[in-house]
Amino acid sequence: MSYYDIDDILADATKIPCRFNYNIPGLGYLEGNIGHDIKKNAKVELPLWLGRVLAIVGGDADPSSVGEDEALSFIELITPELLAPRVINAIKSGPATLDVRSINSHFYALAVKWATLFNDRELVEVLNYMLLERSQEIRNHASSIDLENLAQGRDPGTFMLTLDEFEKVIYRNSHESCKETKQWMVQK
Amino acid sequence: MSLPWKLQETFSPEEIQFIVENEPIKIFPRFTTKQPVRGNQQSNSSVQTRWKLLTAKDEPLNNLVAIQTTEVALWIALLLKQQGKCSIVAPGWLRLAQLQKYIDYELKNTGRFSELPWNWLVVAQLLFSKAADDLHDPVHLLRGKVQDLREIRLSKIGQGLKHLNESHLQLDNLSLLEINELRPFVLGVMNKLKDIHNSISEDQEED
Repeated sequence: MSYYDIDDILADATKIPCRFNYNIPGLGYLEGNIGHDIKKNAKVELPLWLGRVLAIVGGDADPSSVGEDEALSFIELITPELLAPRVINAIKSGPATLDVRSINSHFYALAVKWATLFNDRELVEVLNYMLLERSQEIRNHASSIDLENLAQGRDPGTFMLTLDEFEKVIYRNSHESCKETKQWMVQK
Repeated sequence: MSLPWKLQETFSPEEIQFIVENEPIKIFPRFTTKQPVRGNQQSNSSVQTRWKLLTAKDEPLNNLVAIQTTEVALWIALLLKQQGKCSIVAPGWLRLAQLQKYIDYELKNTGRFSELPWNWLVVAQLLFSKAADDLHDPVHLLRGKVQDLREIRLSKIGQGLKHLNESHLQLDNLSLLEINELRPFVLGVMNKLKDIHNSISEDQEED
């Protein structure tokens, strides 16, 4: 994840629901009311690149008010739809049949960012399991046509439509590699 | 970038072939380059061309005696073979009986790979296509055995990849071409597993 990584930039643009902890003058444009104030407890969808910073930086940057126990951050992040319990349960029940793309096309990148923000151990375990299971399927598709699935009458194309952006890169690279090796073996 | 993306973190099969072609192999030369010690009377008439190589030893090439085995680099052997100036001695493992032993070993030990040389697939492929008449056994049978070995090992690789993790992977006796084929997949998945693993910070982990 580098600064110039296009996929990282696109992932960061995903909207995350947030709740404001302060009344802030002039910020109404985040809600769509240009020129108005933003109210405490207002629910706004912010892109992750903005929400991530605002959820860390507090309103009490002023050193005179250090007396308060905890500096409340500007906003509070609310668990987004793509990491809702029903999605997590769907992953646990069968990662290979899950349509990740319809949940979010940068699912892994976002989930990792979320796990970093909240130190979410359970999410990490679920992601680990999901990546391993799905990568087996990706490898099957990358190395050859999956005869087992064809025999069962399942269309191998449907799995390819469920890949998220990261998985597509993996698929493309490993498919390219298998293809080149096969070509080299055959050409002589 | 100046290097195409396909080559940025891996080798192409042609590059693997290039690496393997640097290995020594035994040949039967069909001509003599060794100069007779005696016979000063010839020296004025024949100024013989000598091999002068920078990346391979030229000493054995300047002392070739017909039908006496010599070890030279594989790329030289293939060049000579192409002109009918030598025959290549197939390595010991490239025989039906030996390959069958490897296959038996592979089938018996599901948890490990047999000790084939690191370049077996490439050497076999090169010799089948360019020196088929020098092999001890019929090529089509050898091809069959090599293909058997390749498929058994591929299925084992598939089994092994179910145990990918974020820290390490042991791949004893896997050949260079097989590793090269796997590399983009394994590296991609393991890097992501590491990312996922690292998203929990260390100090809070101890709580």
